[in-house]
Amino acid sequence: MSSRQEQKAQARAEREARERAAAHSDRRRTRLLQLGAVVGVAAVVVVVLVLVLVLGGKDKPNASGGAAVAGVSDTRAMLQGIAQNGTSLGDPKAPLVLTEFADLQCPFCGAYATGVLPQIIERYVRTGKLRLELRLRRFLGTDSDVAGRAAQAAATRDRMWNFVDLFYRNQGTENTGYVTDAFLERIARAAGVPPSLVVKGATTGAAFERPLQQAEAEAQAAGQTSTPAFLIGPKGGQGKVLTVERLDIGAFTAAIDPELK
Amino acid sequence: MTRERRLHLAALAVAGLGICVAGYLTYVHYAGLEPFCAGGGHGCERVQSSSYAKLGGIPVAVLGLGGYLAIATALLAPGERARLAAAALAVVGAGFSGYLTYLELFVIDAICQWCVASAVLLTLLAVLTAWRFVLLE
Repeated sequence: MSSRQEQKAQARAEREARERAAAHSDRRRTRLLQLGAVVGVAAVVVVVLVLVLVLGGKDKPNASGGAAVAGVSDTRAMLQGIAQNGTSLGDPKAPLVLTEFADLQCPFCGAYATGVLPQIIERYVRTGKLRLELRLRRFLGTDSDVAGRAAQAAATRDRMWNFVDLFYRNQGTENTGYVTDAFLERIARAAGVPPSLVVKGATTGAAFERPLQQAEAEAQAAGQTSTPAFLIGPKGGQGKVLTVERLDIGAFTAAIDPELK
Repeated sequence: MTRERRLHLAALAVAGLGICVAGYLTYVHYAGLEPFCAGGGHGCERVQSSSYAKLGGIPVAVLGLGGYLAIATALLAPGERARLAAAALAVVGAGFSGYLTYLELFVIDAICQWCVASAVLLTLLAVLTAWRFVLLE
């Protein structure tokens, strides 16, 4: 009798254990399904967040300026992955250095920056053959003065080339007073430089006068009276005046290639 | 100490670290300071001042701080729903911070060490909270 009761109790205990295990397994399966659903919903939420960020972060008007900054993706593509150090662009060990004298208001400098420079960068700078140096002048007027100091401020963050390239792509008519704080803020933000640093540098940046004065002295010593003007020479050397007949890549390769041999 | 308890404490600790990281980035954003970057460089500043540093006008650092606080709150709350909410928030955070890391590497062309740290913390949180939810008895 007692043995039969024990057998029943044992059978009941085994059945309950099986039921508990089955229930536990069901609960875990349900939770895995719930977790899968969470991951699915999370993926949708992330996609929505990414869309908001992408649509809000690309060449769009912003609060400080009002107008869009043109050429952000072109500038980014041109300079991505290339070392910048102050006013330099490219490998510091590159055997050849091309120094450009430019005025940010000068339309020919802008034409060179958007039409020829991308090819020079692709062909010579990315391959480590050439380093570029930028010397800013400001003889065209007050807007050049403000823009020059702003660009030198961007140089302290090793972002001068982004700032200058975006400046050219959004260049206004000479000396119309378009280089306002709002304009500089927009360009700075698009270039990845703190807008406050650039605006402060442009308006009260006495520290940024020195590199501009040095650039002017360098240009005058080289006998350069217009922009864009160029010097080319080996790393660490003085550099000789590079005269190009026209602002196209052919004229530059004809001058650069012999220097690399 | 049970495995569940260890996971819970680990998730709370990671969320606490995340609050510190996001809190610091929020502080430097509103104080107008340059974030400290180990080894010099201006990667953090570039990322923080890029056009991707805001989402719908709200600084991403603030969104991160809010996210960590929400995860910590869910971790401290009892019940199955709270565990699921913590896992859901952490998975969304990890996915979004993964996208932000992609932007840093391939679009902004600068790395913010604080943001990478936050991405790692959120990934850890996603694993810990999901594991804890599945282990629920």
